[in-house]
Amino acid sequence: MELLPKTRVELRVRLKVGRTALDEFMAEDEPKEQLPSPLLLAFAPLHRTAMGVACGVVLGGLLFLMTLFLVAKGGYPVGPTLALLGQFFFGYTVTFPGAFVGLLWGFMTGFLLGWGFAVVRNLVVWSWLLLIRSRAEMEQYGDFLDHM
Amino acid sequence: MLREEEQLAKAVVRLNAKLLGVVLGTLLGIGLFLVTNFLILKGGPDVGRHLSLLSQFFFGYRVTFVGSLVGFLYAFVVGFLIGWVLGAVYNKVARV
Repeated sequence: MELLPKTRVELRVRLKVGRTALDEFMAEDEPKEQLPSPLLLAFAPLHRTAMGVACGVVLGGLLFLMTLFLVAKGGYPVGPTLALLGQFFFGYTVTFPGAFVGLLWGFMTGFLLGWGFAVVRNLVVWSWLLLIRSRAEMEQYGDFLDHM
Repeated sequence: MLREEEQLAKAVVRLNAKLLGVVLGTLLGIGLFLVTNFLILKGGPDVGRHLSLLSQFFFGYRVTFVGSLVGFLYAFVVGFLIGWVLGAVYNKVARV
């Protein structure tokens, strides 16, 4: 075969390998329904409320468990460093009732953080998408007048 | 069939809970490992006075090299659990 100069040669290799045990473990909770197109997977927004609730559950649960753990462990004084959170979370103390107050405060703080993260992430993705689209349009119609 | 733009407006990201767990666990583990060893290398009269408070929750953790390995394991487990719960709850709520 004779190759002319400036000719592009494209070589595509498709490699098919079996699923390893790690792949099986990771793919276990993948959605079973038909996957959307790669474009949707790349640019789909985060669910703001879901991200807020998830972060709230994690932060609230973590603070709740940490407080209960220190209360159960006992000693004197109980959790003096963790108790400093009471400076921001009014009513929070390292006691059994304080663990529930911490759960509420942790959930609210986590919700705000997660929700805010999702909003900012979605804004950045949409701005990026707009930029890509406007660049593509410029490339497509940039030489429009040349064809008149 | 809906156009791509309409589909995009309705779609939401789904998270792989286990993958998120492994990522967060690795980040948290390496983070604690590095921070502990940084303090050891820095030295001083009372090395890592505040960081050593983690031993209240992570039994066996100390601000020493061996302690940093113990801390890596603990932080990996905690990070994995955080990531897994985060992904699972997110997917559950996003599906509703």
